[in-house]
Amino acid sequence: MRDTFRKWWSVEAVSSSPRQLPSISVHSLTGCAGELLVILENLEKMVPYVRIAAFPFAQSRNDDGPVDIAFVEGSVSQPHDLEKLQHIRKNCKWLVAVGNCAVWGCVQRGACSRFSVEAMRDAVYGENSQIEVLPATAVDEHVKVDVKLSGCPIDSTQLLAVAASLLKDRLPYITQKPVCLECKLRENGCVLIENGLPCLGPVTAGGCGALCPTVGAACYGCWGPCESPRMEAMATILQEKGYGLEEVLLRLQSFGAPQQLFERMKSGKATG
Amino acid sequence: MDERRSIFIPEITRVEGHAAVDVDIRDGKVCNVHLNVFEGTRFFERIVLGHKYSEIAHITSRVCAICSTGHVLAAIFAMERIFGYQPGDREMLFRELMHLGMIIESHATHVFALALPDFLNVPDLVEFATSQPEHFQNWMKLRGLGAAVQTCVGGRPFHPVNLHVGGLSKYPGVDSLAPLVDSLQAGLPLAQEICALLLGLKPAVQRTTEPEFLALRPYTAGYGFFGDQIVSTAGWTRAASEYPDYLREVVAVNTHSKRALGGSKPMMVGAMARLALFGDRLGSSAGQLFAQSTLSRGDTNTVLNNLAQAIEIVEAIERALEIVQLLVSGAVGEPQPLTVNAVAGSATGAVECPRGTLYHSYSLDADGCVTAADLVTPSVQNTARIELDIREVVDNSPQLDSSELQAQLETLIRAYDPCNTCATHMVSVRYEGPIDD
Repeated sequence: MRDTFRKWWSVEAVSSSPRQLPSISVHSLTGCAGELLVILENLEKMVPYVRIAAFPFAQSRNDDGPVDIAFVEGSVSQPHDLEKLQHIRKNCKWLVAVGNCAVWGCVQRGACSRFSVEAMRDAVYGENSQIEVLPATAVDEHVKVDVKLSGCPIDSTQLLAVAASLLKDRLPYITQKPVCLECKLRENGCVLIENGLPCLGPVTAGGCGALCPTVGAACYGCWGPCESPRMEAMATILQEKGYGLEEVLLRLQSFGAPQQLFERMKSGKATG
Repeated sequence: MDERRSIFIPEITRVEGHAAVDVDIRDGKVCNVHLNVFEGTRFFERIVLGHKYSEIAHITSRVCAICSTGHVLAAIFAMERIFGYQPGDREMLFRELMHLGMIIESHATHVFALALPDFLNVPDLVEFATSQPEHFQNWMKLRGLGAAVQTCVGGRPFHPVNLHVGGLSKYPGVDSLAPLVDSLQAGLPLAQEICALLLGLKPAVQRTTEPEFLALRPYTAGYGFFGDQIVSTAGWTRAASEYPDYLREVVAVNTHSKRALGGSKPMMVGAMARLALFGDRLGSSAGQLFAQSTLSRGDTNTVLNNLAQAIEIVEAIERALEIVQLLVSGAVGEPQPLTVNAVAGSATGAVECPRGTLYHSYSLDADGCVTAADLVTPSVQNTARIELDIREVVDNSPQLDSSELQAQLETLIRAYDPCNTCATHMVSVRYEGPIDD
């Protein structure tokens, strides 16, 4: 993929003057700054082909004008995030939500599915806290998102592929197949069936290359749900392996999987 | 006539997370300083509630990417203490190696990419990459080295998948460890070079009041980042589990980061604190650099935290080399089986993260599920001194115009390497001219 990326871009890079380079911006809402680090790590590969209009984490001189591609990490967790997001959307051609926080809402979304955000604020900062909070939500619940690239953190190869596609005015293909597929391709033994570990690979989107099962650990769902996840079947098999329903549900929800995926389970219809 | 002005930095760039600084000045004296962390809150102490002990490190890892390994290890150490589990040498050496990878990656990113541009006067990345290609390349190499160490042990450069309560799910073999020897040896001169450069720079900001330094006493006789006793330059030693007593937490209105205050002097944690307390334990290369610096003679200028971090990169590379060579030699015992027996209880785990001491405390029920949690990050512990430093710099620099003052404040704040993602995201600074003009 990286070779392809270089090949595609080498012609343009030579023929474009710096002024005509497409522009990108990198912004963060509420998250761990992990996607900023991945983008920073890959900047060397991108710098010859794009102008970095704004990246406040990494540079002091940032311009607020229109850009071709805006990368946004983090969830919307406060009014300030929402204002910033709306401003970014108005000023970009392509908006790419990067990372689990932006695509699903990550662990803060998982908690907001269980507790009221005001109650959490009062418990941590005291009842008179004036901190403004919003229940953690994904970016596409507020603005149009052109590309959703999940990961926790995102994968470098996928990031470069997304950038290369968009600079060619093409929407990229991003796999939504489950981790199990990548795990089988690596010829790993199954940690769920063979070792009884609470692996969420069957319902989690791949892209990581099945990192956890490859080291003999259970997938914990950090890339968010795969396409058409069979949550009921997942819960059933975990219960067969001896895990309680409550523990299973909590584990499935922890990295931001949307509540709609659990409605049937909660009504007790598909857990037996 | 009153001359009033205010300095407001709405977003401090080149730091981790989001924060602003607000300074009110009347007649050349500061009347109010406020460091406003406007990172969105995520409430990790609530997020972990009800989750099984085995899930917690994966969740707390997400507090902060750049020091995720620290958040993983602090959680694991707390759980193992509750269970009375003693990790073996092999487990601890791999964990230490992983932690050193984080120290290298985090410090290199801060020293080169976030702090150094102030001294080289390069405001953006393209200019940094094109006008200072050597520094830019050295940063990429050292950052890559830290990432390679963490990927080897943890499975990826941050948010590790291989570290668990009880040990590693897979122990990297000689095949994966051996290549690290060459990479670490290649990285050492680059780290020494950046130390030499920083040793030659005059601190851009004048020295402020000496703080009280706090750091964990390393378990071993050498320099290190794991321990369970806190030592203070004020002369006391306490168990890290007593942190609620010695860190008096103050929740400040308007900031999302909980602030912690020590005794009367403002406390400071991080690389400078570790060197001030345990600099005599450094290995030979780092020890020589430390001896050349004014840090070894009691200089507490905050800007020297950049140099202190660079010295720690040298130390981390040397120690990582030792560990890798030891592991490759086969002299370390077999791994323990990854089994622990969960019991109810409460305990604290602490580690020295790149920015200072990190505390994680948990209570578990008999099923090993979390019933209470408390996380105290290094950046939170430094907030009070950052504000005091700002006050002193402004008070002592009446000759500076507002843009010079703002530049100094940004350099000063960046030197702390504040992680507002941890404290909760980034600092920003906006200047407003004198009110009377």
